[in-house]
Amino acid sequence: MSLRQTISATTLGDRILLVSLILASCAGIVFIKDVLPNSGGVIIEVQGKPTHRYLLDQDRTVRVESPYGQLTVEIRGKRVRVIQASCQNKLCEHQGWVSHGAIICLPARISVSVGVPDKSGDKRIDATTG
Amino acid sequence: MMLPQDNYRIALLSAYAIALHAFESLIPMPIPWLRVGLANIIAITTFILFGFRSAMMVTLIRVILASLFSGSFLGPGFILSLGGGVSSMLAMGLVLSLVPGLFGPVGLSLIGALSHNLSQLFLAYLLFIQKIEPVLLITPFLILIGTITGTVNGLAADLLIKGLKNNQESIQNTRR
Amino acid sequence: MAFNVQRRISSCLLLGLFCLTGISLLSCSAPKEQVYRKSMVQMDTLVTITVVTDSADRAEKAMERAFGEISRLDTLFNFFSEKSELSMINSNAGLSGVRVSPETMEVVEKAIEASEKTGGAFDVTIGPEISQWNFSLKIKPEDESIKKRLGLVNYKLIQLDKAKSTIHLKEKGMLMDLGGIAKGYAADKAVEELKKNRITSGLVAVAGEVKAFGRKPDGKGWKVGIKNPRSTGKNDEIMAMVELNDAAISTSGDYQRYFILDGNRFHHILDPKTGYPAQGCQSASVIAGDGVYTDAFSTGVFVLGPQKGIALLEQMGFEGLIVDKNGTIHTTPGLKGKIEFTTNH
Repeated sequence: MSLRQTISATTLGDRILLVSLILASCAGIVFIKDVLPNSGGVIIEVQGKPTHRYLLDQDRTVRVESPYGQLTVEIRGKRVRVIQASCQNKLCEHQGWVSHGAIICLPARISVSVGVPDKSGDKRIDATTG
Repeated sequence: MMLPQDNYRIALLSAYAIALHAFESLIPMPIPWLRVGLANIIAITTFILFGFRSAMMVTLIRVILASLFSGSFLGPGFILSLGGGVSSMLAMGLVLSLVPGLFGPVGLSLIGALSHNLSQLFLAYLLFIQKIEPVLLITPFLILIGTITGTVNGLAADLLIKGLKNNQESIQNTRR
Repeated sequence: MAFNVQRRISSCLLLGLFCLTGISLLSCSAPKEQVYRKSMVQMDTLVTITVVTDSADRAEKAMERAFGEISRLDTLFNFFSEKSELSMINSNAGLSGVRVSPETMEVVEKAIEASEKTGGAFDVTIGPEISQWNFSLKIKPEDESIKKRLGLVNYKLIQLDKAKSTIHLKEKGMLMDLGGIAKGYAADKAVEELKKNRITSGLVAVAGEVKAFGRKPDGKGWKVGIKNPRSTGKNDEIMAMVELNDAAISTSGDYQRYFILDGNRFHHILDPKTGYPAQGCQSASVIAGDGVYTDAFSTGVFVLGPQKGIALLEQMGFEGLIVDKNGTIHTTPGLKGKIEFTTNH
């Protein structure tokens, strides 16, 4: 079907509708992209429930409390670490900087998850040992 | 639905619609539930040539039989298909009765596709995904895709109608 | 009229044909396999189970059963829980044998087997020594104290009575710590549970003890990254990658639990012969068929050091990778071609 034939198969109403729909949905897509939440974020959960959400692109220090303890979380340079914890074993502090995965403080029942979907090599890895 | 030819016609069109649907679901797609909706070509053609009742019958038969064949009758997919199909027929019917000359097959297809997608999104939100956020998030994408596939279906329907009209003498007792 | 009848018949035939096509086409659609993954905190660490299946329901049920199994094993092996079978055995050291479940018996048996094969480099009776250390509070026991308890560290003092299903620690003060073998065993059992629930491909990771079976949807094996013992940031976190085909991998490292005092690193992998942290390696990774062995042997090989460690692995028919204390990598010959290094070494 040639272009001329195609156009003649449509009425004016058709064409106006088509163009408006395309414009409206494109506008919607652009709008959505701006508003998109959490595509590079840190989620802090206390007793399994999310309490704080942050993007990685802004450096900050956050104090998180739970009935069982507290942590101080630092977000800097797109990485996260626990700089201070009230728990005894301090395993969470020991983990150091993470850019993906989770740091969990069991005694305080607080978890800090970094939800960046890894680009490059790490997407190929299914598990880590070490 | 008084003439036996109409019954045969409905059955035949339904069969075409089911076949197109089945054929389409064989094509591997990266996003599984995203379909072009080729069966709608039949629905639109039926609508324009034979009217609202015929088109609604064909759609209902297609949706029910297809879900029976694939074993998903009364399942979530069936509910969504039914909702989408019925609403697109209703929307097209409404538009044709209000402004009969404004739209051709392409416009009707677009209207049908739009209302099909919107009602599916709404039903999915209401019944399956209670969070409004992800539903709102994919709405613009779905509408854009629906617009493109709607145009394709509309043009195909137009071709089909022209082809059928050329064999006018074999269509007996048409009712509009 | 004949023409009408003819048209009716051909319409019906066409209708029938299309319906048949419809039926066969629609009912032949093959469901696609997908990857499902879930994590839970168990055994005081993060357990992640990954399965490949075409049914979300089956994935859900299988994973639930597998997590349940790990939880059950934890109640048997938990060192810190007073009610665990392990604690029962420990509190009855020097007194009497304790009746145990088949799993506990199996784990201790395999632990003793690993002790024999590693010449005592892996020893679950390390309890009296390791319990004196505190890595978060940076507490190092006095040399006197370490020497005093060394006599209690001896796997040969574990008595197993298989007929009565009892385990008896001969000397008072002995303590068994299954931390070096329980996670690998749990991974094995979790995989068994997944298979029982009709999963044919998946991965169970109990902290760093990983057991894989089957293939991913792309047909390849499961890819596991080995951590760089001296990583400085996110760019060099992983030093190598192996593809596991129905195998398990474990790693013991001096960076997992440690503290630094006066410039010396004190880590949690003690040499059962001296009571002090073993000095030969930064990390040791072992690949074998079962997690219970990889877990135990990664600890044992770490203590044995690079030369003896690689030799033992070859003898056992396992594969492995050792990063010695200078950062040099040693691998078993069979690993060539199966491992991909990501940082420059």
